Amino acid sequence: MRATLAAASLLRHRARTLLAILGVAVAAAMLLDMVMLASGMRESFRQLLMSRGFELRLAPKGTLPFDTDATIPNVASISSTLRSNPDIRLISPVLGASIHVPVGERTVSSAVLGIDPLVQGDYEMTEGRDVTDMGSIVVNDYLLAQLGKRIGDTIDVATGYDPQTRTYAGRRPLKISGRVRFLYGAAEQSASAMRRETLEAMGGPRDRASLFMISLAAGADAERVRIWVERTFPNVTAISIATAIASVDERLGYFRQLAFILGAVSLFVGFLLVTTLVTVSVNERAGEIAVLRAIGVARSHIVQQIVIEGVVLSVVGALLGLGLGLVTARYLNTILSDFPGLPVAIDFFLFQPAAAWTALGLLVASGIGAGVYPAWRAASLPISTTLRREAIA
Amino acid sequence: MIPQLAALPLLFLLQVPPPQRTIAIDEAFAARAGLRVGERVVLSATPGALAGDTVSIGAIYEKSADPSEIARGDLTVRMHLDHLQVLSGYGDRVDRFAISTKSDAAIPSVLEGINRVAFGFRAHRSKDIAVETSRTFQVVSRFHRAIGVITIVASSIFLLCIMILKVDERRRDVAALRLMGISRSSVVQSIVIEAALVAILGSILGVIIGWLASRFVNWHYQELYQTPLQFSIVTPSVVLLAVALSLILGIVAGVVASMRMARTPPLALFGR
Repeated sequence: MRATLAAASLLRHRARTLLAILGVAVAAAMLLDMVMLASGMRESFRQLLMSRGFELRLAPKGTLPFDTDATIPNVASISSTLRSNPDIRLISPVLGASIHVPVGERTVSSAVLGIDPLVQGDYEMTEGRDVTDMGSIVVNDYLLAQLGKRIGDTIDVATGYDPQTRTYAGRRPLKISGRVRFLYGAAEQSASAMRRETLEAMGGPRDRASLFMISLAAGADAERVRIWVERTFPNVTAISIATAIASVDERLGYFRQLAFILGAVSLFVGFLLVTTLVTVSVNERAGEIAVLRAIGVARSHIVQQIVIEGVVLSVVGALLGLGLGLVTARYLNTILSDFPGLPVAIDFFLFQPAAAWTALGLLVASGIGAGVYPAWRAASLPISTTLRREAIA
Repeated sequence: MIPQLAALPLLFLLQVPPPQRTIAIDEAFAARAGLRVGERVVLSATPGALAGDTVSIGAIYEKSADPSEIARGDLTVRMHLDHLQVLSGYGDRVDRFAISTKSDAAIPSVLEGINRVAFGFRAHRSKDIAVETSRTFQVVSRFHRAIGVITIVASSIFLLCIMILKVDERRRDVAALRLMGISRSSVVQSIVIEAALVAILGSILGVIIGWLASRFVNWHYQELYQTPLQFSIVTPSVVLLAVALSLILGIVAGVVASMRMARTPPLALFGR
């Protein structure tokens, strides 16, 4: 009966109810988007870092991987010391540089990684074979398009360009052996990879690495190994997944704060809308409620009926808003994916069931909260005075 | 004798060690490392190196407002060019030259002149470089615009709903006025004027709250990112848009609700 009375009350003013549901839906959509934004970027980044199972990264002291041109010397010696730690399973030294490929009258430049194909964690093969010999190179789709070449073609690759003398430190023909997708690469970024030995032979810095990626043995404590690495090698900064996420949080903390503020505002707007609507509805039905009370209907019954009205508005609006929120999240994610240098795999708005449940839960709670005040007022109406006032009116 | 006396100060000078080089560091660097003017630090181009060049801090400066560096939190040091060239092993090289022209009109001819004879480098307009480096802010700006549109839609629905409720509350007043013989158009006009007044008063309050929120946002993010950049600016066009939007919505809601009410028989409005 409570639900029937609540439904009758909502259906009495259809236009008003529809507008309220629409308002709650937009607020719910915004709330869902902001909950997704607050947690999505961090989770997406964590998934990306963990995708190849490297829990630690070593960069030159005081820097983040590939943030500067600085390199770590003595790769062989460092690798040997790292291997002596039983907690360390795999070591992947990576050297970053630039390559230049003459194509007709123009020169195509690209970032290149010098890697060991057996242990690399920077890219996934999409076609062809990996850099199994010194004479091969793998490239991403963007660079392949820039070069206008195909897998199997040979290109003239140069490194160490000196703009003053317009000369190169090293130059050699390399065969494009495969097409790859760089996990940490941006969408419109030329990137390639070759064996580290090849890069060194072409004039790259010898026995140096821009980055070490370290995979730990099962059950190893990443924080303990990180501290051990920093104590053993004073010229490197060891970055665990947790410290990398903290660093990203610091750089993109603005979006989390924005998400929190806009999420709170959306929730408040939804709450205010439902409260106003239910309060006005209760004021209009003061006489009706007084009659119900006069014929013996319990206060709790009145309270429940009014709270149900608020919850129905919130739940229907929230369900509509969840769909709307997913659409707007996709659109907003497309905008933010244009960030310069942002890896393609990073999503600012990542849908997680927990985010949807959180948004829905918050809205239902606010719907209940919104109905409580008008319900309390309605249940507290003095029966005789209200009936007299209504009769005179 | 005279030449010997004249040489004495020179000999004295030669025995004095050369003055220590100075550097300037930004405020964030000074705060994070707990450094003050006059303190000595060791500089090295190699991360983690124990040996280096000992210099003293000559100044602490405020970083310029650069949107491209806003979220990076980089610490910066300024030093003399020759000092950096020696320290980094760059030799007689620089990353870029900044050139100031006598007038804006001279820029195209200067650019063309340099690029015609350039060997190993290229000249660009500062404005073009600024556009390229502010891509991050362009993306953030687009994101803000999209969020703004969603917020406007949400607030429009909210406003419409509130205004309709506000007009609905006047059912009995309208019924009484109609029974007294007041014309429909007069009733509609009075309700629309009331709705417009409410919308204007609400938007004035909203502008004040928005201005205070904008000041808070600027204060918070300037402290957070240690930058003089303005994050939120309340411009006359923004105020005009907000007031115009709320006024239009208020009037629309007033017209829709009052027309509906004016068409309803007065006794029905009384619930009879």
